Amino acid sequence: MDNFQKKFIEEATDLINNLEEALLSLERNKADNELIAAVFRIMHSLKGGGGMFGFDDISSFTHNLETIYDEVRSGRLKVTADLLGITFSSVDHLRSLLDPNALKNDQINKNHSILLGKINAFLKQDNTVELVDSADNTEQESDGTNHTFYIYFAPDEAIMDNGTNPLYLIDELCSFGNSLVFPKTGKIPELSEFNYSKCYTAWDLFLITPEDINNIQDVFIFVEEESELEITKIADFDILSNKKIIDNIHERYNEKQNFDSTVLKSLIDEQVEKKDSQTVTVSEKLKVFTKENVISSIRVSSEKIDELMNLVSELVTAQASLSLFVEENNEFKLNHLSENIENITRQLRDTTFSVSLIPIETMLTRFHRLIRDLSSEFDKNIEFVTEGAETELDKTLIQGLTDPLMHIIRNSVDHGIEPEEERIKKGKSKQGKIHLSAFYSGASVIIKIQDDGRGIDIEKVRVKALEKKLILPDKKYTDKEMLDIIFLPGFSTAKNVTDVSGRGVGMDVVKRKIDEIRGIVELESKENAGTSIVIKLPLTLSIIDGLLVEISNTKYVMPLNFVNKIYSYEHEQFDKAFNNIIVVDGKQIPFYYLRKEFEITGEPLSVEYLILVKYEDKRIGLVVDNVLGEYQAVLKPLGKLYKSHEIISGATILGDGTIALVLDTNKIIHEFSFKS
Amino acid sequence: MITEEVLQTPNSYLTFQLNNERFAIHVSKLLNIIELIPVTQVPKSPDFIKGVINLRGSILAVIELKMKLNLEASNYTKESCIVVLQVLVEGEPTDVGVIVDSVHDVIEIDEKEIQPPLNVGVKFKSEFVKGVFKFKDRFIMILDIDKIFSDKLLELY
Repeated sequence: MDNFQKKFIEEATDLINNLEEALLSLERNKADNELIAAVFRIMHSLKGGGGMFGFDDISSFTHNLETIYDEVRSGRLKVTADLLGITFSSVDHLRSLLDPNALKNDQINKNHSILLGKINAFLKQDNTVELVDSADNTEQESDGTNHTFYIYFAPDEAIMDNGTNPLYLIDELCSFGNSLVFPKTGKIPELSEFNYSKCYTAWDLFLITPEDINNIQDVFIFVEEESELEITKIADFDILSNKKIIDNIHERYNEKQNFDSTVLKSLIDEQVEKKDSQTVTVSEKLKVFTKENVISSIRVSSEKIDELMNLVSELVTAQASLSLFVEENNEFKLNHLSENIENITRQLRDTTFSVSLIPIETMLTRFHRLIRDLSSEFDKNIEFVTEGAETELDKTLIQGLTDPLMHIIRNSVDHGIEPEEERIKKGKSKQGKIHLSAFYSGASVIIKIQDDGRGIDIEKVRVKALEKKLILPDKKYTDKEMLDIIFLPGFSTAKNVTDVSGRGVGMDVVKRKIDEIRGIVELESKENAGTSIVIKLPLTLSIIDGLLVEISNTKYVMPLNFVNKIYSYEHEQFDKAFNNIIVVDGKQIPFYYLRKEFEITGEPLSVEYLILVKYEDKRIGLVVDNVLGEYQAVLKPLGKLYKSHEIISGATILGDGTIALVLDTNKIIHEFSFKS
Repeated sequence: MITEEVLQTPNSYLTFQLNNERFAIHVSKLLNIIELIPVTQVPKSPDFIKGVINLRGSILAVIELKMKLNLEASNYTKESCIVVLQVLVEGEPTDVGVIVDSVHDVIEIDEKEIQPPLNVGVKFKSEFVKGVFKFKDRFIMILDIDKIFSDKLLELY
């Protein structure tokens, strides 16, 4: 079996599955015109494809089915259980027809004739259409007069990779009637660059046929997505009979002029007085044929992705050494190869990295829906605002995060946001607000859920905790400690057990789930001002945009979203600075000289760089030796031994295989300012 | 060459040199031996943690084993290398690299030949030594590598 047929079988299997699905829906909703149209479309595609790839049994069989559904579509026939019964059996039969030798099997052959008989009977009984013998089914849709079509077909260069021979398509077109074919060879490259597996030719074709434009489109059904295709009816008669037009066309071709349907039409109009001709843009028309419900994503275990990531990193390293070698041994051919590999490697790396990351946006829709539903259930007026939806996270983290976030949002709706009257009484806006924001902080992702509700009543928590024997009666607890009690198993302050929250499995589940993905959850609350829950997630596998800097041959990455500005200064100026304050743009800016703070020995450079970073609402300078540029860093943990190491949040492997350390600027400033 | 067969043998030990002393680590802890490549130093970390290296796309912490054992520091040579081990840190298997002066053979020792560690006359922290055995007229000390990386001892730094 050639590639051709294999490809058709793949596509046809999908089509048959889609057909079955559409029929199942149709069974439930027999009058749905869209479904009927879908069924018809799928049958039509199947027929076209079958004919084109030599599966004539499928083609003719489907043709008869299609005829029935054409009647249904135009309202002349009704969808009945009977009809569906036959259609379902036909679907099963179509599956077995995918084997080209199916009809040699007696059982299948018998089945084939029985089903055909039934379909015929169905059509005859309703007496709406005459069943046409399958052999000349193509004639059925035509009205017998010849039209002239102009077809421009420029297949994708790679069309032959999947086994399609464009010449067969041209051949098939020509079989529809008289034709005039002009190959366009302008794109064929020099012999030295010629790739025999690529198709460089495009065709201009004039087809004189009684066929319908749909039948012509059907020829291209399997290639139209990757080809440039234009089919235009340019005349309602046979232009070959008009010598002037033909001469003109030849002339244009010899002059290597492009044909253009509008030019052609005006040309014809010049010759013959003509009425308007009709154009169908193929791309638009054929969009309808695009398969629905195709599997667009697959699940892959994260282990495999990790493995892939490691391999890609290794490849990047190997490639970097190759580049280095090429630089040393200046050889033209090798150079070329190496550059090629470099390009591919980079693309591979980017793709691989992006595979495991998804924006948190993906889970937000469901929260919007949740809040909408809950607001109406609890008769509360709540606005849900999100920020930083584009923040990307490892997909396993997203999966682990969805449940806890649901809980938190439910809690906010149920316990947090007050009913409208209560809010008005308190002088708050009528509408409550839940604000979800996500952003990178150093090498972590922070997700913050904030509501402007009543907040947590610490006294209530105390009473409840005592009652549940979660705290000791005679011990003093700080407010923070009291709030932490909310995360203990078996704690819930809700008066009534509701559907939403209050089964005593609220926040402890949240905490446990977030622990599972190695995150930290913190709660802050102010009475009548609201509650905010901050989830901090480590980035085991996350990309940050960073600024690559250098101190004494060691490279560091600073998260770019904290970097404000970069200035260069003479070393002396830092030396002279009093109390670690330097004047930048007329403002006094405190700075930390990282070489000293990191206890790195060696001679400082004469010119150094001050990087202005954001810290809370301040600007603070960090001094480094050199700024190397922007770098997209894939964060990797430093490992257990560096567990308590806070100022470095991770490391990343640079293109040449060396390591850059990722600095947590917040922690650095916090630590150094705390120290002094 | 470490073959599967060796790793399967319950009494196999990798022997290596630190200054003039010979040590052994049970092969079940051993993942790999690699050449001593440049190590990226991590600022503000304990002295005995030399830094990190890129081991096939993962970050591997590298330990100056001599420092950890209170042995005298010395320069690296061509024979210096990194032995990659899997140790338990807080009960979790963790990969670490340790720098040694040179690696020797993998040898098989009968359980009976292993004696308890000597506590007198040794210049280094004997608490990390599990046992001692004699091999070709030399004493070789078996390191309790998990203990070296146990939580409590790391916190001392």
